[in-house]
Amino acid sequence: MTAPAKASRVVPPGEATARTRGPYRSSTPADVALLLLGACFLLPLLWLVLASLDADASHETRVPAQAGLENFAAIMTPALLLQPLWNSLVLSTGTAAVTLVAAVLAAYPLSRYRSRFNTPFMYTVLFGTCLPITAIMVPVYGLFVQLELLDSMPATILFMAATALPMAIWMTRNFMDAVPASLEEAAWVDGASRMTALRTIVLPLMRQGLGVVFIFVFIQAWGNFFVPFVLLLSEANQPAAVSIFTFFGQHGAVAYGQLAAFSILYSLPVLALYVIVAKGAGSPFALSGAVRG
Amino acid sequence: MRGPALKTMSLIASALVVLTACTPGAPEDGSKTLKVVYQKTDSFTALETMFQAAKQEFEAANQGVTVELQPIQGNDDDYGTKLALALRSPSTAPDVFYEDTFKVRSDVDAGYLLKLDSHLEGWEDWDKFDDGAKAAGRADDGGTYAVPLGTDTRAIWYNRKVFEAAGITLPWQPRNWQEILDTARKIKANDPSVVPFNMYAGKGTGEGTVMQGFYELLYGTGSMLYDEETKKWVVGSAGFTDSLAFLKTLYDEGLAVTPAEALDANVWKKVFGEWFPNAKLGATVEGSYAPSFWQDGGSYEWPGYEQDMGVAPFPTQDGGGPGAVSMSGGWTLAIGAGTKEPDLAFSFLSTAMNRDNSLAFTLDSSQIAVRSDVAEDSGYQSANPFVKDVSELVSVTRYRPATSDYPRISAAVQEATEAVITGARSPEQAASDYDAAVADIVGGDNTIRK
Amino acid sequence: MAAQTGVRGLLRYLPVLPAVVLLAVFLAGPVLWALHASFTNAGLTGRNARNPDWIGLENYQRLLVDPVFPLSLGLTVLFVLGSAVLGQNLLGLALAVLMRRARRAVSAVVGTTVVAAWVLPEIVAAFAAYAYFSRDGTLNQLLGGLGLDQPDWLYSWPMAAVVLANIWRGTAFSMLVYRAALNDVPSEVAEAAQMDGAGGWQRLAYITLPMIRGSIATNLMLITLQTLAVFTLIWVMTAGGPANASSTLPILAYQEAFRFGDIGYGTAVATVLILIGAVFGAVYIRLLRESKR
Repeated sequence: MTAPAKASRVVPPGEATARTRGPYRSSTPADVALLLLGACFLLPLLWLVLASLDADASHETRVPAQAGLENFAAIMTPALLLQPLWNSLVLSTGTAAVTLVAAVLAAYPLSRYRSRFNTPFMYTVLFGTCLPITAIMVPVYGLFVQLELLDSMPATILFMAATALPMAIWMTRNFMDAVPASLEEAAWVDGASRMTALRTIVLPLMRQGLGVVFIFVFIQAWGNFFVPFVLLLSEANQPAAVSIFTFFGQHGAVAYGQLAAFSILYSLPVLALYVIVAKGAGSPFALSGAVRG
Repeated sequence: MRGPALKTMSLIASALVVLTACTPGAPEDGSKTLKVVYQKTDSFTALETMFQAAKQEFEAANQGVTVELQPIQGNDDDYGTKLALALRSPSTAPDVFYEDTFKVRSDVDAGYLLKLDSHLEGWEDWDKFDDGAKAAGRADDGGTYAVPLGTDTRAIWYNRKVFEAAGITLPWQPRNWQEILDTARKIKANDPSVVPFNMYAGKGTGEGTVMQGFYELLYGTGSMLYDEETKKWVVGSAGFTDSLAFLKTLYDEGLAVTPAEALDANVWKKVFGEWFPNAKLGATVEGSYAPSFWQDGGSYEWPGYEQDMGVAPFPTQDGGGPGAVSMSGGWTLAIGAGTKEPDLAFSFLSTAMNRDNSLAFTLDSSQIAVRSDVAEDSGYQSANPFVKDVSELVSVTRYRPATSDYPRISAAVQEATEAVITGARSPEQAASDYDAAVADIVGGDNTIRK
Repeated sequence: MAAQTGVRGLLRYLPVLPAVVLLAVFLAGPVLWALHASFTNAGLTGRNARNPDWIGLENYQRLLVDPVFPLSLGLTVLFVLGSAVLGQNLLGLALAVLMRRARRAVSAVVGTTVVAAWVLPEIVAAFAAYAYFSRDGTLNQLLGGLGLDQPDWLYSWPMAAVVLANIWRGTAFSMLVYRAALNDVPSEVAEAAQMDGAGGWQRLAYITLPMIRGSIATNLMLITLQTLAVFTLIWVMTAGGPANASSTLPILAYQEAFRFGDIGYGTAVATVLILIGAVFGAVYIRLLRESKR
């Protein structure tokens, strides 16, 4: 998943654009063209679903001779499924939590005080989002060796949080800007400190936005393969993205049905979370908080 | 409505840090942990079995010591990469690990391996090890850094049924390269659906490409990879180009698998698991460990493989010299230089490699024994009908140059074979690319034209 | 809010500190480490693992003579142009335009399919694409059904396969950006043009596209940066092969550093990639600042 939050203004897919439908009418040629394109996008996914139900699946897409859940049953073992998924959960929740705390703290002064410092800082942060993370993995490995942090979950969480942070700061500040400062001023009069006001007034008002940031970072961390692949070496620490590769990848067992079943179980949480963000979180408001440029 | 969001998040964050920091946990109560890293795949579990047995034995004998087994899933290349990544950092370097003989020197140079001489002195079993095998664990300083688990040789494995069907007289023994091609063409003419004679090539099969393929060719031309006398790498040899040209013939004429199949890192699984048992493959160059896949309890059990398969030494280019070529490798156990418990680690290593465990491992993985007490065991000698044939090849076998540059040279050779079988380069071009790569790796002063 | 002075001003910015520390250690740190290590012959094993030497520009000189590097650079350009600038960008725009004209239900279903490929964890998407393009995969089933040639895509046309796979995976992003942008085009403008007799294509080319050019520029920059960093998709599908025919810069850096154990050289390749990313990042930020003025 490549930073979904990077869209300048993201609209969830199912959301119809009725708001400005303008002069266009529904046309059949457009339907046909769209369905054809959609079919191209659907085909590779179809294999995943069909193969997962087929006990002797190959690369071919075909309706299983005998559909069944054998593949799912075969992978339901603690070592194969639960441990990696638990590791993914720890890694993603940790990354999202660390990112959110750091982003909220950083966004507050950037949103509430005016200073020459703000604009250059925000652009530096934005520049950070442009770093190709795959390019820095070799140096990050070197750095982790020197700091003796290799194969450490907390260190990997901190690194993944750092990579998600630029986008999270940017989004969080936009959400925070939308909360009027006048509300806090009333609290200051009552003698509340700035941090208390942030906690009791500002954050509750932007909790939808915070949820969006949390989920975006979570989804990204959940799907990340390369970072844990390089930084987490022992099997006991590896998240699902890596274990799926070692068990079933090019060099592992050739069990396509189980690979597909594992893939589906591993993908479900992010699909569900995406639906929550796209549908539930009051979409136009929440999602337009992403980079406004 | 109070705003618990930030508080909740920081709670989660701190809980997680505590949680993750605790799980691996350095024990504080005087108990000790040994970390053991080795390779395990769905078709190679002999080592897993051996270490599980050793762990039980060792933990029972040493109260308070925990042996933490950390298998790495992956083929030889993946295993090598992951092990190297872990060795580089003291915090992740294992105490005891499974190490390929050809990496011993470069890892000694890197300071990753513990010198074992003082421990070996007190180990009575050490005298039982074969001298040739002991050399594989020795470094330039004369010290021993790794204990050999076993060794192997390489030969042509052929399917007698396929050969009989094509009317070839058995037992088959080609005397030169031409006879291999003649036989292969005959098989193909008889049944085009059969792959007559496969040799690995390309980067997919990694070290297998050179050990079970290119080196059997190269060393049969009278050329070599490395000149032991001058300590220089050989470049520009006619033998190198001839060897590439032979591969090109095999692949261009469809005598081997398709190039696309050859580049699949799993191709060897098909060789052992599908093509040989189903009589879809005539012959290939493979290791003496081949029966380990087919015997009872192997990954690709094949009752009757003893009757269906035959073995023949790989011939030299024109039948000259000793007439046959073989390559030997093998794996060792080594101890990390940074281990905090060198005595315990060695004690575990010697438990893992005691006579019983060694014998079981040697049989499970069809190794050629490196210990006299294992070699003399009747179970070993009768393990399969091929033990005698492949063991005799020890007399003509060659070893890879034991220098720390070797792994990268090997990668360059694999690259050359891949370029040739895919048609990207001609044998001559690929050979000159190789020469340039070698000069680049070791420096022009360390090469010699021969 | 009063203009801050001195210590008090600094104290107010204290909450930014955790974010700054994370970014400095885990993003700026590796970049600096990369610059340093690319001037050494650090290795994964051998004597250079213990005592790497400072070798100045040697790694960069080697880049210039290594035949694989220009190839890899070219493949990276091809990959970015083919899959991002042309593929994802144009297809995303086409989908967005079609979705405005198609029936609501159709556009919702197709939109969800396109987004699904994008939300899936990258390793799962990579496996699905691998199965789709493999010799006996779905694509060849289709071609066979049409009576056409069935090449071994991952072997004979590796670049075509990874480019198409990346279009499949990444188009959702451009589609979402363009749907949002098209929604912001006031319907009166289009209506006015329609009254003047402008046809659909003319309206798109002369009115709509110029009005959303800001979004187009932003989208192009972002997908270029994302595509530049793609590793997992290619790694799983072809691992850069055969004979380096699909080895883009991230793959090359990984191979050199970890597979061949030449950390110094691999880091030099990574540094080049970081620099390319930095150039695009700088251009992107310029674009944003200008559009803000």
